[in-house]
Amino acid sequence: MLGQVVVSGILAGALYAMVALGLALIFGVMRVINIAHGPLLMLGAYTTFFIYQALGLNPYLTVPITMLVLFILGALLQRTLVYRVVDAPELSSLLLTFGISIALVNLAQLAFTSNLRTVEYVTGSYTLGPLAFSKSRLIAFVVAAALAGLVFLFLQRTRLGKAIRATSQSREVAMVCGVDVQRIHRITFGIAAALAGAGGALVSVIVAIQPEMGQIWTFKSFLVIVLGGAGNYPGALLGGVLLGLVEQLASLFLTTQLSEAVAYILLVLILLVRPTGLLGGRQT
Amino acid sequence: MTPRGTFRLGLVVLVAALAVYPAVGTGYGVRAVLQIFMWIALAASWNLISGLTGYVSFGHVAFFGAGAYTGAILITRAGWSWPTAALAGGLAACVVALVIGYPCLRLKGPYFAIAMLGLNEVLRALVSYFEGLTGGGNGISLPTLEATVPVYYAMGLAAAAVTLLTYLVITSRFGLRLMTIREDEVAAEAMGIDTARHKLYAFLLSAAGPGIVGALAARDQGYIEPISVFPLATTITMIVMVLFGGKGTVWGPVLGAVVLFVSQELVWARFPYLHQLLFGSIIVAVVLLMPRGVLGVLQQRYHLPRTI
Repeated sequence: MLGQVVVSGILAGALYAMVALGLALIFGVMRVINIAHGPLLMLGAYTTFFIYQALGLNPYLTVPITMLVLFILGALLQRTLVYRVVDAPELSSLLLTFGISIALVNLAQLAFTSNLRTVEYVTGSYTLGPLAFSKSRLIAFVVAAALAGLVFLFLQRTRLGKAIRATSQSREVAMVCGVDVQRIHRITFGIAAALAGAGGALVSVIVAIQPEMGQIWTFKSFLVIVLGGAGNYPGALLGGVLLGLVEQLASLFLTTQLSEAVAYILLVLILLVRPTGLLGGRQT
Repeated sequence: MTPRGTFRLGLVVLVAALAVYPAVGTGYGVRAVLQIFMWIALAASWNLISGLTGYVSFGHVAFFGAGAYTGAILITRAGWSWPTAALAGGLAACVVALVIGYPCLRLKGPYFAIAMLGLNEVLRALVSYFEGLTGGGNGISLPTLEATVPVYYAMGLAAAAVTLLTYLVITSRFGLRLMTIREDEVAAEAMGIDTARHKLYAFLLSAAGPGIVGALAARDQGYIEPISVFPLATTITMIVMVLFGGKGTVWGPVLGAVVLFVSQELVWARFPYLHQLLFGSIIVAVVLLMPRGVLGVLQQRYHLPRTI
């Protein structure tokens, strides 16, 4: 039983880490906490659902399309609204993205109704000895880990990735070096939204889709960042796995209903005991 | 008569009119004014933490729900009278605020906002889980109340008390320190302000009102369940009211509560599906175009005192 919990926790962890990576990117580059991150994940899930429904396409093949759609949406949000609060006090950016978040959820309710939708594609699980690996969760794990790795490589190796990291370290110096900071902000927001969208695409195969599915993901993503230490990208992976484990343990020993409450108590405890995160908030 | 004298006279007349209103008003009217009182108390409470310190609380409805459940349990199981149960509701909300605020408000930055984001969902899950005490999903039914009017006065008192509290805080050194934290927390610390403690005090003050009001609302409605007392929509409405009226002011939350409640009753009740979209858009528009709210704009244009 415990082995199963560990397996399920790790499988969920990579997905959490990938989605949280998007939130961490925006925060790192712009010092903006995007409350609408979870609702963007919800939109990603709907995008995959509608492509799957209309074209019968393998939902995993829709991941790049969904990511592209969400990238454009994210860049547009940055270009039209969010750019105006990047330098404003924290209150403004929190409230603005909160407003966007509520509006997106309501728009989804209007456009897609509140009916539960499901993408039934891969069901069942692989078994290995006493352990069961749910197929859809296993694929989600692999895709999420690969995407998180790709983004990490992109940030480390490419010119654009270096420009993003430079902007997050010091916007003024990056500007002096000829980096178009506004463009970097749009790209960063776009990548973050694309990661949320990929998360949505992967989640759509696992759980039912509805307009309010997203909000909890903003909270979970933030919790992953806090667990791993803000600004620490490898830490996010650890944080994701830890959150997955804690949730699985909670649903084993208590009820699924309480697993969110347990995650919450975890956040409060971490902030109480070790506010810089488990890895000590070292900057990478 | 000086402008200040006129203002005070107007205030006295208004309070007197509201006090005799139940004797002449219709049942619907009394209920509507009671609701306005409730929203004034809620919005003004949110303003105490978020308007004054700049720390955004996305889960203030959690205190409303904590108060509602504390009040309902004390009334039904311990046989308390509703006024004392309401005060206990306020106390319970303060305890919740202490548990959340102590770890989160020691830190600068978005920790507090995010911690508050999930609080109402967590309390809802806990309330549903501990069925023995709370009735779980079945909720709690309170004994029938003979009249609405006593609750009307209690709610009015709560609204007046939170507004008066806001005035006292804004005109005090404590309030100045809170606003210093909002403008520049590092500078506030450099000036010797114990920022963590001040933020926590402001947060406790802002939790008491919703706790009391929650217990009163539970008494008034006669039935509560987890879904009805922890809706995110209530927090959203508080935020919209304060932002619209003018955050960090005494009368902004009052203005926002009255204007938004009345327009909600008259216009938006016909478009329930667009409600959240509208509120989300108002938040975005106010943050971008009118960050100081209606009252803030008036203050600036007509050089009104800061204590308005």
